[in-house]
Amino acid sequence: MSYWARRVSGAALVLGMVLALNFALFRMMPGDPVTSVMDPDFSPEARERLRQVYGLDRPLYAQFALYVKSTLSFDFGVSFLTGRPVADELRSRVPNTAALLGTSLLLSASLGTWLGMKAALRRGSLLERCVLWSGALSFSFPSFFVQLVLLMALASALPLFPLRGSLSVPPPEGGWGFALDYVHHLALPVLSLTLLGFGGWAIYVRNLAVKVMGEDFILMARARGLPRRRILLGHVFRTMLPTLLTLLLMSLPGVVSGAVITETVFSLHGVGRFLLEAVTGHDYPAAGAAFFLLSLLTVACNLLADLLYSVVDPRVRLDRSAR
Amino acid sequence: MRRLLLRLAAIAALSLAAPGLTAGAASRFSIEDYSAPKVKDLYLVIIRDPDAQLMALQNGQADILGDIQRPVDVDRLADDPNVNLSLAAGFHGFFLGFNNRSFPWDRVELRRAAWQALPREQIVRDLFAGYAEPLSTFLPHVSPYYEPSVRAYPYDPDAARRSLADAGWTLDGDGVLVSPDGSRVPAQKLLCPTASVAPTTAELASRAADALSAIGIPTSTEPMDFSAMLSRIDERDFQMYVLAWQMTRDPDSLYALYSSKMDIPGGSNLPGISNPELDAVLNRLRFAPDATTALDAASDAQALLAELAPVAPIYSRYSVSAVRRDWKGVLVTDRVTADNIWSLLSMEPASGPMRPLYLVQEEEPRALNPFTSTSAYDWQVMGLVYDSLIAVDPYTLETIPWLAKSWKVETEDDGDGPHTVLTFLLREGARWHDGRPLTSRDAAFTYEFLMKNKPPRYFDNVDNIARVETPDDATLVVTMKNVSFWHLHRIGGLPILPAHLLERVSDWRSWLPASERHPDDPSLTLMTGSGPFVLREYRPGEYVHLTGNGDFWLGRR
Repeated sequence: MSYWARRVSGAALVLGMVLALNFALFRMMPGDPVTSVMDPDFSPEARERLRQVYGLDRPLYAQFALYVKSTLSFDFGVSFLTGRPVADELRSRVPNTAALLGTSLLLSASLGTWLGMKAALRRGSLLERCVLWSGALSFSFPSFFVQLVLLMALASALPLFPLRGSLSVPPPEGGWGFALDYVHHLALPVLSLTLLGFGGWAIYVRNLAVKVMGEDFILMARARGLPRRRILLGHVFRTMLPTLLTLLLMSLPGVVSGAVITETVFSLHGVGRFLLEAVTGHDYPAAGAAFFLLSLLTVACNLLADLLYSVVDPRVRLDRSAR
Repeated sequence: MRRLLLRLAAIAALSLAAPGLTAGAASRFSIEDYSAPKVKDLYLVIIRDPDAQLMALQNGQADILGDIQRPVDVDRLADDPNVNLSLAAGFHGFFLGFNNRSFPWDRVELRRAAWQALPREQIVRDLFAGYAEPLSTFLPHVSPYYEPSVRAYPYDPDAARRSLADAGWTLDGDGVLVSPDGSRVPAQKLLCPTASVAPTTAELASRAADALSAIGIPTSTEPMDFSAMLSRIDERDFQMYVLAWQMTRDPDSLYALYSSKMDIPGGSNLPGISNPELDAVLNRLRFAPDATTALDAASDAQALLAELAPVAPIYSRYSVSAVRRDWKGVLVTDRVTADNIWSLLSMEPASGPMRPLYLVQEEEPRALNPFTSTSAYDWQVMGLVYDSLIAVDPYTLETIPWLAKSWKVETEDDGDGPHTVLTFLLREGARWHDGRPLTSRDAAFTYEFLMKNKPPRYFDNVDNIARVETPDDATLVVTMKNVSFWHLHRIGGLPILPAHLLERVSDWRSWLPASERHPDDPSLTLMTGSGPFVLREYRPGEYVHLTGNGDFWLGRR
């Protein structure tokens, strides 16, 4: 069996296990969607009717068959909590979450990588100390605190940005006005996540670059008189690239799993809160669908990382062909 | 100074627990003082974070904030000269529950002593900064059926110890109570949510455990995930728990909470109290044929519950709301917050031209499906769009006319046993938002739809309907299977939907009327009602846009 056939069949096995665990684990949690209805005006008969409506009165194997069918057809059923099709719920939320977290991931990664490289090149300088300190600070502050401070400072005291949501109430008419309004609303949440995220990248990249720059082949390149820029981009950065790529791709599933706190502070319609409420509210269809899609994305990113490794590092190809 | 005044208002609300506010109190309120809404555009803006909600109100980006929960926020707004605050007592009740089914909580004297050992006033002062009411009854004082003369057990741990000693209880060498028959009280676990999820409740539980331990009931808290806690309570696998209930204005919820018939799987008698005398009184309350019998039974039930102490009441939370001062026409009483329907009908700018009204919605509506939605945030929207036959007086919480201008509640017996017959006379001139006339046939069609499909939310409302008849366009007769005065509220309070749209609904479970356009009028959605506001747009996660219904029946008299 070829390498890729083995990898793909392994991924399919993982997804199959996720599918089964998603069904079993949520049902093993204490309580169920009907137990959580605490209302003296809801009689035992009404609860039984609710159980029927949710399909929880059917045998487990029948529930499992329905779950597998709806998941594999990407239909996902109807959310217990919202009463809307889960696919519609996710469709309406993923764009906001992806725009918010995708943009902030790209900005944090770019800024962090650039600052990390600069710091590694100027070891012992004020710049390096600033990068390390600001990196540690941004990494260690709780997100809700930073976001609330930004909201108070830049949306309330100095109203440069909107306080809430992804659109004005009512939103401006016309394509450009609408798009600009959307960007304006997302700017502060993106800024906050970038501030919170760049530090980790900067410190990681700086440490990695320092390590690579201490390698013999870099000394050799210097001895050969190669230009500094070529050493940096062609040797140091290229060596770091597979590791950074892994980090970036493994962060991608988080881009759609949402950021509960950010979505709450900025009142954004995103996946994070939906997922949290689905788990805490025993919303089996919603939680099952969301976790399955996240697993699918994680597995896909893993495969993509493997594929890109062979593009950026020829040694990976050689190793595989040797096997 | 305003902060002090507000706290004084909170204290004054306590003293309003007076006979003058019980059933039968004369209302200052008349529906005739209202007409169609004055505002043209109403936006329910979704802002989830409490700090962002406050900033929006203070910056003028929102005009009404309906329910402020954190005392620190109330204090902050009290200092804002642009904001008016109001405080309403409601139907929230927080209780310490005992498992009455087994030792030691099957002993009534121990339950009473535990009740007496709880420092309720101190808890309210420390944890809620005074913005809550120490609760010592089984119905909140705002209920029209509240009975002020029932016995309560004020905080007095010494009296609790004495009463136990008088009943033959002793303390062993470890300071633990021993019953008159020689049984030592075993270590008790008090179920509560974790501090990270519900810090106030966790702290309250901790204080209750300390208070009980101090009189010889060795108690420690058992914090856990809230769902896990509900599951344990539902399975009756507990010794003690802390839990809040949101009750309604009808006291027949006492039947669901304390009748032994409800100590069954899925039933709400969680403490498991079983007392024949109490059962008889609660039965009388549940199936009272008229208001007078209901009032008597409610009083008797409260008196008996105070004697039996199946749970110990602790506190009831106030609802605090805030409205910007540049609006006038706000109706505030000690029982409803400022974001009520009457305010929304009459609010207008204090000066200058009309402008949109922005109301903060703390969570977004979920389905906006009148058959499945149980969320208060959904009903904040749907309650403005759909009408029911009756309404509630905001001063006395008594039933007042709405779509029905009058009604009769009669008991008949045509051979099948006695049953209640409700006859409603509907108003003339009521129309749906699409211009079609609203008749008794719409109401009948709605009830029959609910009877046929049995949505869980309405199961208990319509399960006892025997038949619905419409002798003419203005008269609706609903014959019930049994006798109960509460049928009036359960039936009269149902939202009435247009038959011409309802007959197109194929699957009520997945019906999303706010997301589909009206077949004849694209400016409307399928959420077409007869209420004071017309739904124009719901943008998930952002806002709900409604416009005032200029053709509202209340303005067409």
